[in-house]
Amino acid sequence: MAAYRSIRFRRGRRKHKETELQLTSMLDVLVIILVFLLKSYSTSTNNFTTLPGLKLPLSASQDIPPDSLHLIITPEGMTFENNRIVEFELSAGSLGASEEDATYSLKAADLAEDGRQIKPLYAALTKAKDQAELLRAKSKARDAEGNPLPFDGILAIQADKRVHYDTIRKIMYTGATAGFKTFRLLAMKRDG
Amino acid sequence: MLDALVTLIGFLLFSMSFLALVSVETPMPQISQEDVQKKITEKPLQLTVSLREKETEIWSPFERIKSQTIPHNDEGMPDTAGIHAAMIEIKRQFIQENKVVFVPSAATSYDILISVMDALRVLEPTDPALFKPNEQTGIDEPVKALFPEVVFGNLLGEG
Repeated sequence: MAAYRSIRFRRGRRKHKETELQLTSMLDVLVIILVFLLKSYSTSTNNFTTLPGLKLPLSASQDIPPDSLHLIITPEGMTFENNRIVEFELSAGSLGASEEDATYSLKAADLAEDGRQIKPLYAALTKAKDQAELLRAKSKARDAEGNPLPFDGILAIQADKRVHYDTIRKIMYTGATAGFKTFRLLAMKRDG
Repeated sequence: MLDALVTLIGFLLFSMSFLALVSVETPMPQISQEDVQKKITEKPLQLTVSLREKETEIWSPFERIKSQTIPHNDEGMPDTAGIHAAMIEIKRQFIQENKVVFVPSAATSYDILISVMDALRVLEPTDPALFKPNEQTGIDEPVKALFPEVVFGNLLGEG
């Protein structure tokens, strides 16, 4: 009898009541989440990732990029297929500048062909092209004449909004010399 | 039912794409197969948009259109609305044309590059409707894009 009256018992009983599962409310919440997810669901045909701190521009384009070889350019360097291949150097005038104002440029040692070609990128792209061609040669998929399917030569470029065209055109030139014919400039989809 | 809901939500969360990426495609410029002499006689449009430090010039090397200069806005950025309006007018005159040569300056940022390319390519729902005759059926069809084939004109490093 004394036990029923004790504070510990009453506290315990209250605790038991609070943890009871409200099934109806939970179902309501789950249904709302499900409706939201179904409404915003979009199947994606690519596995493009991004890097922390990368600021992409917005675009009104409606073209969803299919999967392809992928290059990310941040103000500090380049990442090709998740491997860091080029590190930029801080420009002479940017010493002591804030992170936002600092400008970076390609190292002279990384450039070839009068500064038009980026050597580490060229090496990475040629290697990727060779691997793609080898895979196509081993694949059973053939064209009408029975030859392996040709290399598509598409490079997706995801650049930070602060990156200059001078760097982009060096990348495109390097890509062209390595056998890439089409470039997909990636951006975030603009709403509305 | 609860199990099914939780499984479905888990599947949707796992397979959902949270990064809404779109692309602007640009081919590598190719050496024209057309005869130079033929080009000189026929004078193609070869619409060119040059982005300079203080202005944007829309012109044709064969003088098929009157050259237009659109000054940058007060913030020193290209006037994309003005460029877009000019492109709509040119598209109206050359409805079958799809190509534009884009010549940005070396210091143009990727952000501006994309916004100007959008102004050259995309026909917004708020823009006036444009129609072009279908060569096979002869029936007028709505134009879906302005100049979707944007080619960079200075990849070799001039400008």
